[in-house]
Amino acid sequence: MNAKQVLEIALSAGQMLISNGAEAYRVEETIERICNSYNLECECLVTAKGVFISIVDGDDGKVTSLKKIRTRRVDLYRIELINSFSRNIQNKHISYEEARKKLKDIEGAPYFTFPVRLLAASMTSFIYALFFNGTIYDALVSGVISMGIYYVLEKISRVGFFQFFEFFFSGFIIGSVSLIAENLLPFVNKGNVITGAIMILLPGVALTNGIKDIIYDDFMSGMVKFGEAMLVITAIGAGIGTALSLRIGVGL
Amino acid sequence: MIKQIILAFLGSVFPVILFNIDRKKIIWAGFCGAFGWATYLVVYKYNHSPIMSSFAGAFIVGVYSEFMARRLKTPTIQFSIPGIFPLVPGITAYNTISYLVEKNYSAAFSKGMQTIAVGGAIAFGIMLSSTTYRFISKIIKPNKERMFIP
Repeated sequence: MNAKQVLEIALSAGQMLISNGAEAYRVEETIERICNSYNLECECLVTAKGVFISIVDGDDGKVTSLKKIRTRRVDLYRIELINSFSRNIQNKHISYEEARKKLKDIEGAPYFTFPVRLLAASMTSFIYALFFNGTIYDALVSGVISMGIYYVLEKISRVGFFQFFEFFFSGFIIGSVSLIAENLLPFVNKGNVITGAIMILLPGVALTNGIKDIIYDDFMSGMVKFGEAMLVITAIGAGIGTALSLRIGVGL
Repeated sequence: MIKQIILAFLGSVFPVILFNIDRKKIIWAGFCGAFGWATYLVVYKYNHSPIMSSFAGAFIVGVYSEFMARRLKTPTIQFSIPGIFPLVPGITAYNTISYLVEKNYSAAFSKGMQTIAVGGAIAFGIMLSSTTYRFISKIIKPNKERMFIP
């Protein structure tokens, strides 16, 4: 492999890591590892929105390239696969075509199917409504609400909507549906329903990775992730608060 | 108590399906949540402070996930993310909003501070265990090149 091909492999590995929600230090270490295994010196800078790599090529100075990340989601399985890919590349040198093919395989790795994820989302809310001392009725209502929310979010995220509004409306729907449920079924407690249903929306990965990045001195990507998580939490809270205060205003 | 621990186990198993974890590791992620919540309950029994208990729970989650990550050679976040799910202060966060809406600002402030403190305790617990683990493993085997990124 020549320097440009190594650069391309490292760049696409880094891009896949960031867009699947890895921490900044993991991306930097993976890129450095790929470059070092081909005896090339490299510098890289990882932010939450893109990755810059510059490799010292023997003949004509430095080769620099950058890649911008457009979509971000959380996918722990792909992070693990790329981790073992970088370990393999370190153990034995593979050719450019082979590396390309492996990265392509990782990109096509299986997801859980949509019905399974829908069921998992609803079971999460069901369990957490029970966990916070709710009754079985609270848990059932909570499960139904979060199934609807997850379905709508999955469909909306393809259209492309501002993140704040996505989470604001999810919070608003959770708040208003649980109020309606409490009015229709008097044995349901809206507090337990809401705490169960918001569990699928909480940005746990963004928050922990943001704090982890800050602790490892990657302030640039750490603050972005932390700010994003805070924005999501504020949006959910604002949505639920709007629904609850509407109820006081209308006087149900 | 047993019921709560079983619920914590299930409550760590189902959210990871949304994060597309490797199928063979789902059960280990579940144990991570169960251990963390069991620690929380034990500490809460002797010291009635949710902040201290969350810190202890998160610390155990961190230690468990560092250990399992090295055994199974996978990234740490595969276990630490599901592990902290039961510790997340969902109910105090909800109470904060509900007091705010009722214009009971002093109660809202106290609940809000508690939420932030518990969140900070969880983050600090995980970070403390991961940095300690990394430090100790550097001292014990300094020359061995790390084969994977934990």
